[in-house]
Amino acid sequence: MSKQDDFRESFFEECEELLEAMHDGFDRMAQDLEDSETMHAIFRAVHSIKGGAGAFGLNDLVAFAHHFETALDKVRSGSVKANDELLELFRKCGDHLSDLVAAARNGEGEVEGTEALRESLNETIGEDTSKEVEMPDFEPVTLQLDMDIAPVAESSGFEIEFSADPELFTSANEPVLLFQALERLGKLEVEADLEAVPHLSELVSSVCAIRWKLTLDTDASESDVRETFDFVEDTCQLEVRRVGDEETSVPEELPTLGLPSLSDVTPAAEAQEETKAPAAPPAEPKKEPKKAPSAEKSEQRKPAGTIRVDLEKVDKLINLVGELVIKEAMLSQSIAEFDPPSESDVSVGLDNLKQLASEIQEGVMAIRAQPVKPMFQRMSRIVREAASATGKRVKFVTKGEYTEVDKTVIERLVDPLTHMIRNAIDHGLEKPDEREANGKDGQGTVTLEAAHRSGRVMIDISDDGGGINRDRVRQIAIDKGLVSESADLAPTEIDNLLFLPGFSSKAEVSELSGRGVGLDVARSEIQGLGGRVSIQSKPGEGTIFSISLPLTLAVLEGMVIKVADQTMVVPISTIQETLQPNPEDIHTIGSSGRILHNRNSFVPIIDLGSFFGFRHTPESPEDHVLLLVESDNNQRYALIADEIQDQRQVVIKSLETNYQQISGVAAATILGDGRIALIIDPDNIIKDSGSASPGDFPIHMAG
Amino acid sequence: MSLREKLNVMVVDDMSVSRGLIIQGLEEIGIKNIEYSTDGESAFKKLAAKPVHLVISDYNMPGADGLQLLAGLRQYGATQRIGFILITGTADPAVIEKGNQLGMNNYIKKPFSAEQLKGCIERVVGPL
Repeated sequence: MSKQDDFRESFFEECEELLEAMHDGFDRMAQDLEDSETMHAIFRAVHSIKGGAGAFGLNDLVAFAHHFETALDKVRSGSVKANDELLELFRKCGDHLSDLVAAARNGEGEVEGTEALRESLNETIGEDTSKEVEMPDFEPVTLQLDMDIAPVAESSGFEIEFSADPELFTSANEPVLLFQALERLGKLEVEADLEAVPHLSELVSSVCAIRWKLTLDTDASESDVRETFDFVEDTCQLEVRRVGDEETSVPEELPTLGLPSLSDVTPAAEAQEETKAPAAPPAEPKKEPKKAPSAEKSEQRKPAGTIRVDLEKVDKLINLVGELVIKEAMLSQSIAEFDPPSESDVSVGLDNLKQLASEIQEGVMAIRAQPVKPMFQRMSRIVREAASATGKRVKFVTKGEYTEVDKTVIERLVDPLTHMIRNAIDHGLEKPDEREANGKDGQGTVTLEAAHRSGRVMIDISDDGGGINRDRVRQIAIDKGLVSESADLAPTEIDNLLFLPGFSSKAEVSELSGRGVGLDVARSEIQGLGGRVSIQSKPGEGTIFSISLPLTLAVLEGMVIKVADQTMVVPISTIQETLQPNPEDIHTIGSSGRILHNRNSFVPIIDLGSFFGFRHTPESPEDHVLLLVESDNNQRYALIADEIQDQRQVVIKSLETNYQQISGVAAATILGDGRIALIIDPDNIIKDSGSASPGDFPIHMAG
Repeated sequence: MSLREKLNVMVVDDMSVSRGLIIQGLEEIGIKNIEYSTDGESAFKKLAAKPVHLVISDYNMPGADGLQLLAGLRQYGATQRIGFILITGTADPAVIEKGNQLGMNNYIKKPFSAEQLKGCIERVVGPL
């Protein structure tokens, strides 16, 4: 039973791959509707899903896949011509198929829309008639089995070497009779080897010194040959060899020699090609140059050999490697206390160990990394749905699909990305007539691009729409009481208003992106992953949302600081600058508020010690270190720390499983000396420290 | 040794799940010597070097499909006499017809139970 479950699980995993192949096929079809190889690939994918689903009794899935496959087959066989409309329908069917697979996987019941799609398929392609077809009579052909399948050489025959022990004769057997029996199997040649026969004077009459070499040309199997010698088996030396054994023992050569390739000998394939060729002869030469760039563009990659591993095992390994790194750090720290000479074996060995540990760590992390491609494909569906809901024409472009990102990050990115893409289509792109009036192509473009940049993953969602209408955004924010009317906001500050909770820029809540979750939710989800979002927008040219994410959720580059005798780690990605302030740069506001004058702007100061409750009165910043951090809404804050100790990679240990989420604390880590340090979450600290939210924040950039 | 212990079978299917299911079925029947290939081309190469008694191949595969494999096997001396069972999802009359011409020994339609698979094999090689 559990084996069946295993298969079931791998079936669904295989389905994911097949669906990916199918969507890929649609993308290729969009470029070349005529390419029969593409149609074959799509058909195969759907067919394989159907086949597997049948084995598991997933009837809804089988029924729809069958219908879909029938339609695909009609296009494949050329009885229906492919066009853009049909491709659109196929894409919808593909989406639906994905839904059905997901529903089957989760054991959910019916999925809406099957009937509607089925009808549209019938309309465009015609009724499914394949069911009524009677199967031709087929009489199974019984096989004459040859149980010894030593390689069946074409010149089937045997070479037999035989010599008899004295006992053979004493048990009343006679070689001649054996040879006669062999002769009944085929054509036999016998050669007596007399070399070992001694001189007459030395001859022992009971010993048979003659050896025989026999060549038997026969269709019989080796066992038939050996059977002849059944009775004398123990009393003779027998060697039976197939003629041509030597050749067959070189298996690599044979297929290529006798038969260069399978496809060369199959008339079926040739016939197919032949019928296609005259239909579109001028298309042939064109195809090649056309194909090459598209293959390059989509970064076609042959999947290397893979194994499926339980995620738990990988996570356990990651955890253990994390421990290894910590232990290594502890070891180097305690060895450093002995202060060995830097050239000593211990130091060198330790350095090697350190490097090895970090390489292992990287390698293990890479196991969890996956290409973003499947997620991007899901997004292409979102684009299609959003486009049809808004009546806009959208071209969806993806780049860097093979950028690898931690699996968990990918999974958790789906929701925010979905939202941002809907947003780009709904709010970013203009209506087709408006676009054309502005001299743009009526079809808008939304680009999703992933890339690795300096140890982080960047995902950009860009549109070529009208850009952010800043006047309107500002007005909405004022109307909703998010900013004061008098606030003087820089363009980037206005853009960032979009991320404020409760901001929705469309006058009427649109069905699509106005689903109660705003960009603020999308952003906080990304922050939850250690990521950041920024906006760039140019009026008339479009908007880019850039998401920057850490490569992994398991380690973090952090700055180790001391605050009120506590060791803490600040994620380096949040720190912009560290400085020892001049007293004249510190200004006091109100009773206890202080700000720092830095780079022509004023930055509020927060004391980490008092935030965490380690000390009561906020320390005076003059004799401390200030860490300048940037919050999500591009506001800068200065955090007071007592001392900066180190900058290093730390292994993240989640606290949430044992404690609840603690304000201002992201996680914990174990340092080299075995002490536990909290990894702080500056954004959270800023929010909870009671510092002004940007809306009514009184100070704005002076320059 | 009974036939099912002696019978050498090669399973050809590109999809690991359906391949797994076929192999599972064969094991359930009690067939001991099972090899597999993931595509027609490599199956053909292996078979030409070392034939088996029976090939159980999927029809729908990328590259060479099941019938192309069958055609290849029948044209090459060492593999001519290998038994061939085709597995098909849609029992398309044209496919069966073609298989018949090429000398297919039997076919089975997906999905099938181990029992059905056994029946299908027995009609080719006799009682297992």
